[in-house]
Amino acid sequence: MTMTTRREAMALISAALAGTTLGGRAFAEGAPKKGGTLRISAPANPSSLDPATGGAGSDHAFLFTMYDTLTEWEFDTLKPKPGLAESWKFTDPNTLVLNIRPGVTFHDGTPLDGEAVKFNLDRNRGDAKSNIKADLLSVASVEVTGPQQVTLKLKTPDTALPGILSDRAGMMVSPTALKAAEGGVVTRKPVGAGAYAFVSWADGEKIVVKRNEKYWKPNRPYPDGIEISIIPELTTGARSVTAGQNDLIYQLPPRQKAIIERASSVKVVHGPTLYVFQIFLNWARPPFDNIKVRQALNFAIDRESFAKAALAGLAEPAYMNLPKSHWAYDAEVAKLYPYDPDKARKLLAEAGFKEGTPIEIGGYTDQDSVQREEILLEQLRKAGINVKFVNGTVAEASAAFFGPEKKGAGLLSAWTGRPDPSLTYSLMFTKDAYYNGGRAPVPPELEAAIKESRASEDIEVRRKAFSTVQRLVMENAFVVPLAFQFELVAMNKKVQGYRPNLLGKPKYDDVWLEG
Amino acid sequence: MARRSPIKVIGSRLVQALPVIVLATFMVFSLLKLVPGDIAVTLAGDNATDARITEIRTIYGLDRPFLVQYGAWLGHVAQGDLSQSLLTGEKVAVSIGRAFPNTLLIVVIALLLALVTGIPMGVLAAIKPNGWVDKLISMLASLGVAVPGFWLAMILVAEFSLKLNWLPATGAKSFSASPVDAMRHALLPAIAIAAYGMAEVARQLRGALLEVLSSQYVRTLHAKGLSMSRILWQHGLKNVSVNLLTIISLLVNRMLAATVVIEAVFAIPGLGSLIVRGAIQRDFPIVQGVVFTMVVVVIAVNLVTDILCAAVDPRIEQ
Repeated sequence: MTMTTRREAMALISAALAGTTLGGRAFAEGAPKKGGTLRISAPANPSSLDPATGGAGSDHAFLFTMYDTLTEWEFDTLKPKPGLAESWKFTDPNTLVLNIRPGVTFHDGTPLDGEAVKFNLDRNRGDAKSNIKADLLSVASVEVTGPQQVTLKLKTPDTALPGILSDRAGMMVSPTALKAAEGGVVTRKPVGAGAYAFVSWADGEKIVVKRNEKYWKPNRPYPDGIEISIIPELTTGARSVTAGQNDLIYQLPPRQKAIIERASSVKVVHGPTLYVFQIFLNWARPPFDNIKVRQALNFAIDRESFAKAALAGLAEPAYMNLPKSHWAYDAEVAKLYPYDPDKARKLLAEAGFKEGTPIEIGGYTDQDSVQREEILLEQLRKAGINVKFVNGTVAEASAAFFGPEKKGAGLLSAWTGRPDPSLTYSLMFTKDAYYNGGRAPVPPELEAAIKESRASEDIEVRRKAFSTVQRLVMENAFVVPLAFQFELVAMNKKVQGYRPNLLGKPKYDDVWLEG
Repeated sequence: MARRSPIKVIGSRLVQALPVIVLATFMVFSLLKLVPGDIAVTLAGDNATDARITEIRTIYGLDRPFLVQYGAWLGHVAQGDLSQSLLTGEKVAVSIGRAFPNTLLIVVIALLLALVTGIPMGVLAAIKPNGWVDKLISMLASLGVAVPGFWLAMILVAEFSLKLNWLPATGAKSFSASPVDAMRHALLPAIAIAAYGMAEVARQLRGALLEVLSSQYVRTLHAKGLSMSRILWQHGLKNVSVNLLTIISLLVNRMLAATVVIEAVFAIPGLGSLIVRGAIQRDFPIVQGVVFTMVVVVIAVNLVTDILCAAVDPRIEQ
């Protein structure tokens, strides 16, 4: 299937879904104009400004301003669309040809051509310091087949690649800067081809970028620059916006909505994302080595109430790892676990699990996490499940559960989602994946179905493969999805053109400042 | 007994400070290694495999024995190099150089506020012990001690930033670039910390003054016909100046510690925020660097206090 027809198919889906699912969007009023500095409050210092060596999902909000990606995505559906690659084509299942947009240069003047793309892709999949080798595991070689063309030879068919190239793996860094950089990494001196060029980074304090005057997208970007202040306390960050010191804050917790809406100078925008709160399970060990106990946990949770109580209703109940608006969502799988505490009790009895036996589950110490725990404790108690949460900081509790220590039977955490769903599944539900805390095997059909999902470019074939994947994951109850959090962004009324996206990582493509 | 030269005193104190620095940084280093959580996991990124995490440990030398890692850090420090953040590669000295002035400004303003308000309160309270003024001041002081700084901070922001729009709600500005702007940013956090300091100064000063005022020589002064104000300002305060210096040095240390919370409330990129970020991410060169700086500051403050005390009251030296 050619790219065009595939995109048409996806466009149809997105058209059908977009109108109904995105709530509270801000539409630009009047004609966009250039000028002004956009001041943003960000919740975390980036781990690195080099896309290949960074580690945190929160880095993208910075990286997207400076780096353009080979492919981009539609905001509403995450369907891949042309970026620095103006088109792409699978000439056969094991060959992906990327045609690079001519005339684009990096901020340092280096031309963005086939050679530059090859340099980046080879670095991302081969360099010792690269953290994204796994993303490009299917690539056997990258060849420059024309001045503005590269051809990826694949070990196995991988139709997830166009999606993957919209993320870190597709962010293009100037080869000149990389070759000149100490240790070959541009952690502190990023040079990309994005809408903004790097100016300065004071750790934990501020990142400043300025308009790339030679940016390839016509008339973009509108602001002269962006100043991102790093304010880890979200309440403080929200205050900086109501006080007018910043223009925009993203990733607000739902409880902030009511508070911030009281400020007349501020407007709030929200939309669904792939960010899902869930309980990760270790199915290598009791009690969750027993499928019935895992299923009982899934039946014992009232997701509708959870979304209302824990997330102020700014959430979609999650019955699998994809939300309703996603192209690979399967309504049938979503029916597997209606709220049914009696069924949960019955399953526990069948499993020979003694009611009230404590189950230790890890969690985080922040206020919102603890609130989520309190709600879950109460729901689970009704089904005779006695959970004991043991909390630590995010780094500590996550490392204890996913790392070699293997602490706890589960972890109440979240999954941030990936541009292509096959990554979400392979990173959690294959035997040696880091996010499979117990590193226990999964049914061979599941691994096969995940592979299958990357074998075809046909959207219907892929959708079917994902249905199988999701069904197997949920029937085996390898995870307890709870709710998809909405992206909640508060901004000054003079900020125009901001749109939330399904990935939940802000992009400021069309943002402009009024007056 | 012969008086030792001040230079010798300072010299010997600095030599004594070395083991304190080593011990303090070693303890913090041990604590960081003892608590669970691992920076290698953060460094390895979102999609890491166990093999990748092991690889990261080797790349960053995190697989070396604990003492070797500490020794390597100390060796760098001895050469004047605080090394760099494992996560972002920024030089720790650069981070501290940027953060410290922000913290220092808050502490200095807070200290001045505490003294300007606390000293008169302490004196007033001591003039008529158990009078209504004393009781009112006692109550205020208790309140100052009891009210948590972060809560006061949020109330201050709600009133003076969000409602009245007099002062900025968050952030800090460089003092060298614009002193007025920097002070405007530092004022609210300084008030939030100063409340405790004010209470402490008032209470301690009242206690010390009462002791002096009830002594026999003060009775003699009264008998000589000196006015109350002369007794207080000329004799009383002079005699409690050593107590006051000690209170100030303790306060400086305490206020430095208080900035950890206050800086979070005001999003001030100071030493407090820096060490919190370092500790949460297990970025130990940052934590070590900040602890090192704090220890040096505390030692310096104590040293200056001792020298001043000795200058005010020569008996102390012996």
